[in-house]
Formats: sequence, structure tokens, C-alpha cells
Amino acid sequence: MPRLTEIGPLQTDDHILALVWSPDGTELAVTPATGQSVLVTPDGRVAGRVDGHALGNGQPAWFDGEWWTCGFDGRIRSQNGKTLPTGRGIIEKLSTSPDGGRLAAGQGKDLLVFDNAGATDASLRGLPAAVADFAWNPSNPAEIATVGAGGARMFRLGESEPFARFDWGGASLSVAWSPDGRWLVTGDQTPSVHLYDFTRDYPLHIQGYETKVRAMAFSPDSRKLATGGSSVLTVWPCTGPSGPEGVTPVQLDGFDADVLVASFAPDGCQAATGDDTGVLLFFTFDGDQVVRRRVRRDAGISAIAWHPKDPLVAVGHNDGTMSLLVLEA
Amino acid sequence: MDKTPVTILTGFLGAGKTTLLNRILTEQHGLRIAVIENEFGEVGIDHELVINADEELFEMNNGCICCTVRGDLIRILGNLMKRRDKFDHILIETTGLADPGPVVQTFFVDEELRDRLSVNGVVTLVDARHIVEHLDDSDEAREQIAFADVILLNKCDLVDEEALTGLETRIRSMNALAKIHRTTNADIPIPRVLDVGGFNLDHAMEVDPHFLEPEHPFEWGGIFPVSGSTVSVVTKAAPDPSMGIAVFPVAGPEDLASAREKAVRAFSDEAASREPGSTLTADGALYEMILKPGTQSWTLKTGGASHIAIFTEHHPEELEMTIAARGTPLDVAAEESFHGHHHHDDDVTSVGLEYTGECNGKKLNDWLSTLVREKGADIFRMKGVFALKGNPDRVIFQGVHMLIDAANGGPWGTRPRHNRLVFIGRNLDRAELNSGFRSCLA
Repeated sequence: MPRLTEIGPLQTDDHILALVWSPDGTELAVTPATGQSVLVTPDGRVAGRVDGHALGNGQPAWFDGEWWTCGFDGRIRSQNGKTLPTGRGIIEKLSTSPDGGRLAAGQGKDLLVFDNAGATDASLRGLPAAVADFAWNPSNPAEIATVGAGGARMFRLGESEPFARFDWGGASLSVAWSPDGRWLVTGDQTPSVHLYDFTRDYPLHIQGYETKVRAMAFSPDSRKLATGGSSVLTVWPCTGPSGPEGVTPVQLDGFDADVLVASFAPDGCQAATGDDTGVLLFFTFDGDQVVRRRVRRDAGISAIAWHPKDPLVAVGHNDGTMSLLVLEA
Repeated sequence: MDKTPVTILTGFLGAGKTTLLNRILTEQHGLRIAVIENEFGEVGIDHELVINADEELFEMNNGCICCTVRGDLIRILGNLMKRRDKFDHILIETTGLADPGPVVQTFFVDEELRDRLSVNGVVTLVDARHIVEHLDDSDEAREQIAFADVILLNKCDLVDEEALTGLETRIRSMNALAKIHRTTNADIPIPRVLDVGGFNLDHAMEVDPHFLEPEHPFEWGGIFPVSGSTVSVVTKAAPDPSMGIAVFPVAGPEDLASAREKAVRAFSDEAASREPGSTLTADGALYEMILKPGTQSWTLKTGGASHIAIFTEHHPEELEMTIAARGTPLDVAAEESFHGHHHHDDDVTSVGLEYTGECNGKKLNDWLSTLVREKGADIFRMKGVFALKGNPDRVIFQGVHMLIDAANGGPWGTRPRHNRLVFIGRNLDRAELNSGFRSCLA
């Protein structure tokens, strides 16, 4: 197993809500639930600070060459003071399209979509339910999925009606789209996940989790889906004609509490995961073998972000600290 | 872990919720209060402590309306609870047209919220001037009153005292547990709204000491000594077109209680109509006296009894009613007023039950489980205090629709062990509830 060298910790104002690297990996946005966001370089130097949003922050995004933040005040603004037009209602997340050309934000029943000129022509307004979460299709920057009460809806930009729907009547906490565009997965308010296979127009419902599934991550090759929902990491194969259907998943233990965060490294060989008590587990996948490395941290793990190119992972904690861990061979 | 109190603010459109919210946010009460306001609320409040969110309703159990909860609240409150800088109080505003059920249910079903937050109370604002029309045609308006722990009867300056009293009576018949405050411009000391204290069954007794007594189909009963074969029943007022009356021969004043039981049965029979000037008989049958303005009289045949027990649908004072022999009013030897039926035909009512002694825990659990499974859709709220056999502590119970919860209420100590249970709901069957509860006694 590689040796870990820690850079930090950096103390922020509140528990770490999100960690997001810029596409080129030169900056990491460290966003606490409340207070200033901090921009950090890969060597741990503070490169800048961005004022927090009143009542709390949402997940930031890198768009059009600068950092954009959002929050419970319903505002979107850049690190350089620019703003984007929004309505009323909290904004919990920003996300940039895979080609970097658009920025999306869910606000109430609207999915706001901005282009580089700030135009909102592609926005989806007055959706049937509030946008609990949304995800771009990594393999098609013109497609985006929303989840809200009742299920998921998949849209093509410029069209007001969804090109696909995935209704089950429940509600979701989060949604993710597999990198190859085949699978859409939702982590639900009830202890379950729903999967939608676009190639077969086929829904799957996976139950049996102990808690709400907060941690969900596809491997970069889309062959694995890692999920939390208990004190083990459950990894489903997403290959073959049926994907996880009828297959026994790999269950990886070693946690002391619910798995709250999971993230695959860009090379797909490793996953970093964390629980609420501070157990950080690295899993290395080598064929059918899985090698684990357990690291005990001082506080619960609330966010993990792999550097886009280097063997470096940022780990955020619920006590407001963030550390960079360098994985040395 | 200290739980953060949550107050749910509801009320029909225009009732004054925004005015109250502005008071709460601007007064110097020393509390840091987060307000979760609906994005499409009546009037948006711009304030650094106001969070706008759109309602995201979802059903927990595949379409069961009783388990519809608010997904947005679970996410937002979960986020707020993780923060280092906690709030002293959280206030959730519902839209004027919303059923408050899903908001309350959210705190029953989500374990994380239950662990960290406690619903301190549901506060309902009522527009005193316009609520009557809403009560007649809006399920939501009735449900908002039914769910309330505190009701602010607002805009009282626009309504006269008589109308206010009538409105309070009507609201009280729907929700016997809520504290009612009269306000103008939602002007009320903030602690009366925020420090509701959650569970307070005793308050129902403060408001209406007869609340937990069984309802009777009559409001009054009295025993008169009689000597002749007939007496007269004389009325001078006619507040209603008619009134039920049943008369029984009895041995003396001590028979009032036994006669009352007979009267309950008599009042469930079909009534024979009697115009003024006609004859009534002390035979235990139910008669319907046709009331007319001015002095009217009926001849009452006593059947030779030494005493007669008379039970009337309304209190005699309302009709200026007397029982007279040869023109002289008779003195009543024993009398009792009863908790009568409600005066309005609202389908939403309160039913309170009370029994001294102990309950069998298993029987009680089985009965409540069956009850909420079968009738949960119509039961908005339930609150109770139980003395369970073998348990030295009070058991505090509350429920919303099909969701029920019990907690230890501490030792009974020297207090008498008894069981109280209150239902607020639609089309409640008092007799059935009473019978079910009684079957749980140990």
C-alpha cells in the first residue's frame, strides 16, 4: 500500500460541506457549511478566500475560469464579485457541464442553466417537483437529470419535456450519472437506491440498506457503483447486459459507522471512503482482489475529493478541518 | 443531547402569518431563530435568517397519505443540525393552503430529525373575520385548526365580541386542546408562540373542565316532587325551532344518576312531535317540543309518581322553562348540567376520554395499532397519558394520523393513576373510541 503524507490540516469555520478541485488541479475549493470558503493549492497553501453565503453555503463549481459559490440565500456569485440572476429559494449545489460550457443550479422547482454569457435560455422552470439534486450526463454535455418528489427526469437542453422519466413515487437525496452515460442512480430518503439503465430503458430498485444512502460513486470506467447505506461499502458491478440485477455485490467492511462519503480515484484503481466517526478507508481494486488501508482520523469524514491528475486526495471533516493526503508509492 | 425546538406556523391565506413572522424576526427576544419559509408563500420576507424552500412532498410507504412527509425539510434541517453555529429555535411556515400533517409527520418518521429536533408546537393563525367561510368549505382550514397547539384568533378588531365568542366556541369544539389567544395585527408576546411546551394535556381541563366527560345528548336534567296527576311545562323563549325532552317517574332526588342512563337511551330513540298545548307523558319516551315565541305550555302526565326526572336537550334557562303545578312553579329537588353535543356540524371534532385505574399495555398497544391502521387517515392528532399495569411511570403518548410515539413521562409518585386520551379528527365516533379504550383497562 502507498505511504500517506499529510499536508495540513486547514481549519475552516464549520464542518466541510464540499471539496471541489479546479479542472486543471491547481486549486481546491474548500467549502464549509457556513462561513468563508478557502481556495487551497495542492501543496496546502491558501490561495484565496471567498465570503460565505448568508445562512449557509452550497456546493461550489469551477466555471468560465473562476470559482462560483451558492447558498441558502439563493444567490450565485463568483470569486471576483460577478453574480448570476436567480429567483427565491435555497441553492444547494452548482455543477458545471462536462464540456465546461454551462453551469447548472437547482432552485425550488427551477433548474437554472447558465451559459458563458450568463444567458438562461436552457433553464427548466416550473418543474413538477422541487429539484432535490441534479446531475449532468458525463458522456453528453447536452443532457441533465433532475430528481425530486416522485422520481427522476432526464432532459436535453433546449427541450422543456423530459426525454426519459423514471418514476417510483419516493424522494431522493442525490443523483449520479455513470461516466459512460448508461446508468443513473439515486440515493433515496428511504434506505434504498434506484438505478435506471438507459440502454434497456429499465429501472432497478435495490433495497436492504440499513440507512439512507448518502455515499454513491461510479468508478471512472463505469464498471463499479460504490454505495453506503450501512457500515459496509457495497460495490455493485455495472457491467454486462443486466448490470447489478441478480448479482451479489462485494461488501467491504472496516467502518465503525455509516459510510457517508465515497469517491473513486481518476485511475479507477482506488476508492477513498469515510464514515461518521473518522474512519478513512482506501480500497485498491486489483482484479478480484481488494486491498484495504484503514486510517483513523480525528473527526468524522464529510467530504473527499481526488486530485484530477496527481496521487493526492483532499479529506474534509465534520469538525471543519481539511487535510491533503499525498499517496506515495 | 439537547434538542432544538421547532415551531410550525400555519394559517389560512391572509390570516397574518407574515406579520407574525416579522414580529418574531425583529423583536429583541435574544433568540437566534431560523425561519424556513415556503418559496411560494404569501409575502416573501427578506431577512438574513429566512430560508426559502419549496415544498417537496413524498410518500414513505407507497402511497399512504398518512406517511406523506417533506423531503426538503429533511435535507435542510439535516444540514442546519450539522453546523457548528446552532440555532436556538427553528420556525417552519407552511403555505396557507397546506395541510400541516406532512410537516408534523416528517418529525415522526425521520430518525435523524427525531434525535436532534423536537416539535415544540403547531401555531395556527386564524383570520377572525373570514375564517367562518373557510371553515365551511376548506378541509385545509379545518385541519390547520385541528393540528394546532396554539391558535391566534387574529384581526379581532374587525369582529364584535359576540362573533368572537361564537367563533371561539366553534374552534374549541374542533380542537379542545389548543390554547386560544385573541390578537390584533398578530401582536402577542413571542414566548406565547414559541414556548408552547409541546405536550400539555392538562390544558384541556383548564379550558373546558367537562372535556373529558362523556358527551350527553341533553344539556340538563332535574328531579321535581309532584303530587297531582299532571303538571305544566311552560316556556317563554324559543331559541331553536324544537327541543327534545324525556320524562321518567322516579322515587326521589337520589335517582338522578340512574335516570340519566335511561335518558341517554331514550334520546337515541325517534322523537314524537308535540305542539304547544298538547300532552307529554312521564313514560321515558322522547318527545320533540315544537317551540314558538311567547309563553307556551304543555300538559305533562305524571302517572301518579311522587317525583319525575326531566331531561332536556337545552338548558331550561335558554327557554325560560318552568315546571308548574296549578300555576305555581315547582322547585327542583336535584339537577345536573351536562356536556352537550356540539352546536356546529363540523366534521372535525375532539374526543376526550378518561378512566381511573390502569391499562393493560398489550391490549392498549393492540387497540391503538388497529385504530390508527383503520382510522388513521381521519385522526389528525392524538395525545394521551397512560398508567400501565406494572409500570410505575407515566406513559406519554402522541400521534399524527398513523404515526404514534410513546415516551416515559416520569413517575406517578403520589398522584392518582389514571388514563387520559384525546383525539382530534374527522368523523370521530365517541362511543366506539370509548368502548375501545375501556376494553384496554386492566
